[in-house]
Amino acid sequence: MRAEHAAPGAWRRAFGLRDAGVYYALLLLVLVLAVATAATGRPSYLNPVNLANILYQSSLIGIMGIAMTVILITGNFDLSVASVAALAAAVLISVAGLIGFWPGVVVALLVAAAVGALNGAIVQYIGINAFIVTLGTLTAIRGLVLIVTDGRSLSVDNTDVIAQMSQFEGGRIAAHMPMLALGAALIVIAGVMLVMRRGSRMGSFGIGAWGIGLAVAGTLAGPRVRIANPVLYMAAFALITWFVLRFTTIGRRVYAVGGNPEAARLSGINVNRYRMAGFLLSSLAAGFAGVLFACRLAAINPTALQGAELTVIASAILGGTSLLGGAGSVVKTVIGALLLFTLNNGFNILNMGANYQGVIEGTVVVAAAAIYTVGSRRRPGH
Amino acid sequence: MNPPLLRLEGIAKTFPNGTIALRGVDLDVERGTVHGLLGANGAGKSTLIRILSGALAASAGRILWHGAPVQWHSPAEANLGGVATIHQHIPLVPTLSVIENVFLGRGGAWRRAPADRERFARLLESVGYVIDPDGLVGDLPIGKRQMVAVLQALGGGAELIVMDEPTASLATEEREIVYATVRRLTRQEGKAILFVSHFLDEVMALTDCVTVLRDGTAVLRARTAEIDAMRIAEAIVGRAVTAIARQQDLAHTVTGPTLLAVRDLASPGRLAPTTLDLHAGEVVGVAGFLGSGRSELLHAIFGADSDATGTVTLDGRPVPRSTDGAVRAGLALVPEDRMGQGLVPGFELWRNVSLPHLRSAALFGVLPRHDEELRRGREAIVRLGIKAPSAEVLVTELSGGNAQKVTVAKWLFGEARVFLLDEPTAGIDVGAKADILALVRDLAARGCGVLIVSSDFEELLAVSDRILVMRQGRVVAERRAAETSEHELVLLATASPESVDDNPRAGLGAG
Repeated sequence: MRAEHAAPGAWRRAFGLRDAGVYYALLLLVLVLAVATAATGRPSYLNPVNLANILYQSSLIGIMGIAMTVILITGNFDLSVASVAALAAAVLISVAGLIGFWPGVVVALLVAAAVGALNGAIVQYIGINAFIVTLGTLTAIRGLVLIVTDGRSLSVDNTDVIAQMSQFEGGRIAAHMPMLALGAALIVIAGVMLVMRRGSRMGSFGIGAWGIGLAVAGTLAGPRVRIANPVLYMAAFALITWFVLRFTTIGRRVYAVGGNPEAARLSGINVNRYRMAGFLLSSLAAGFAGVLFACRLAAINPTALQGAELTVIASAILGGTSLLGGAGSVVKTVIGALLLFTLNNGFNILNMGANYQGVIEGTVVVAAAAIYTVGSRRRPGH
Repeated sequence: MNPPLLRLEGIAKTFPNGTIALRGVDLDVERGTVHGLLGANGAGKSTLIRILSGALAASAGRILWHGAPVQWHSPAEANLGGVATIHQHIPLVPTLSVIENVFLGRGGAWRRAPADRERFARLLESVGYVIDPDGLVGDLPIGKRQMVAVLQALGGGAELIVMDEPTASLATEEREIVYATVRRLTRQEGKAILFVSHFLDEVMALTDCVTVLRDGTAVLRARTAEIDAMRIAEAIVGRAVTAIARQQDLAHTVTGPTLLAVRDLASPGRLAPTTLDLHAGEVVGVAGFLGSGRSELLHAIFGADSDATGTVTLDGRPVPRSTDGAVRAGLALVPEDRMGQGLVPGFELWRNVSLPHLRSAALFGVLPRHDEELRRGREAIVRLGIKAPSAEVLVTELSGGNAQKVTVAKWLFGEARVFLLDEPTAGIDVGAKADILALVRDLAARGCGVLIVSSDFEELLAVSDRILVMRQGRVVAERRAAETSEHELVLLATASPESVDDNPRAGLGAG
């Protein structure tokens, strides 16, 4: 009898282009690439090593994209993420040799957090538009990177630190165990939701489907396929953020703050605090991505990650996050990042001219946004 | 005898959603006269103005202009015909200069035509007003903007100027400018003016004729010289039948202990220092028109106004000066603008209902329990008689009255003890109104305190124990509901500041 659990429109909406389009796009693209590689006699696109590689390539953008999604949901905007990441990387490379790796990471993250606090304070307490403020910090922080690096590439000499770095970033673990574990966890959550009538039945099925999918993929991958640490970090960050947004009072308020800040404020929500937290999270995630980036080569050049903020925002938009706030989903942002890097990777594998890449990527982003806008403007994401 | 400049015959308007705004209104406006148009909120004034200015099409009736029937399909057509409307929220472009705004509707390729200067000078001369043509409109105080809007109307060569509450947001000296302009335009230029206002004294002083609308009908048409303010107030209020019966049995004189104590609460430019007490089980009405500071008072009490000074205590404990603190302390605010301030449009009914007291619906205070939230949604539907297919419906899909009920229902599931209701019944149908007012009495019966703002004074009289009258940012009078009348309230709320000698310190005497 629970009519609100089984509204037929809800199912149609859940599988419609607006809500599931990014999944379809990724599947379609993977399918096309698989057929294309098979038809042209190249090594199969679908081999696990290549897929693990795409995951690895998209991990930094994915981590920043998750936090970008949160800040977009709160109704703000952060253009400075790539510069903050570069700054954190430069700081880590500069200090790690002197104070050790882990203290260096802490300093780098503190610096990133300070930028986030600055962005947030200017936006929330002085009241300047977030786009303008972070456009300014985008440039200013990049300038700071130049000052820190003195315009040259920096690298770490201390071999112990280099070893720690490569262990932190370059470690690989067999994919099947974590994927099976994560899949099982999701299936349990879905089961609990169904039994306790927490959330809609459709939502439980969605989570269950993810769980089963991950478990199956983990089984198929077997112990041979190994995934990189950054992918694990991205997955963990996505899982935690998804859980907080989806299941906690904090998540509900984040959506309310972006959906109608005045109504949220008059409902007793401290809007400024939530929006400040959004900036902090965004900068911290960027700082963490910067740390990973620095560890990759144990070196940093001052133009590192330049322009990456646009890819981050594009991922969020592909995932259906509204620039107006109040709607968005971190899982779909990660899928959006995968979509962009799959495109990129496909061009390389098919040996198509890199010249066309920008045109295609841009078209995909605009087409996605058009589908979302025309499709519907109704539901917040979860 | 010449036909009047404008004659409306049997103008009626029914909106697609079934709301009847006008039920056949006749209105004549003569050249060289000021015609006052009055009525309570929702009486149909705005609809009439919008029809007159071409923004809306009438469902029935006709408009005679210079004696000939016309049909305007857009404000631009009406403008060309010679009707200019100055809306309450003046739609000027703040980033353009005065002269550019005045000639905004002018065609032509060039942004600045030399001829404009001459025309502008002549225009100023005809009005007897001086203003720098190159000043930015955004820099002007509101009174001067009002004058720019008047110039804009005249710049288009209008013969009839509709002014929608032109003085509502003006200071006294700025009002004088508007009055002088109105007089000059009619007496010397022979223009006709339809003057919409809530202020009875200015209507008495300025207009030649008045028409009073109530429930979409013209209930009074008279020469101003032949009637008095009391008669107009009566017509505005009417003896309209409503579903709200005066609750005589509840008009008790004894109430509980002081629940909410407001001391010297003030906000620069919005609210003069205000002191009041609200007792447990008491409903206090705030009577006042738009711009009287009534919403500002509620927002200041609720901690939503960061400029506010003064203290608010609940049960003797200070209420923090922030909205989250206020909610935790036990305050609830139902804001005036239900979609803009009350509801999250992307949220379903249940998600909106559970928002303010989410913690109490959550496991460990962190994980919201979906079943509990849905239960609250369903309970809200039942308790307030919300017409919604289920708790899963998006609030944007609800009608005005039902959306309004959701903004009230939000606060029923926590420990709220003081309810601040800002126009909770504006723009909703009689049935929904009765439901909300019944809830207000019910809350008081449970020992909560309610401060309710309304432009519908009849409703305030029916529901309140005590009524505060506000005007121009201050509480100017206090009456026991049993000892006052709508006429008195209307007079108190509309009189000029000087004309009210009765000015007690609100809330200290009664209770």
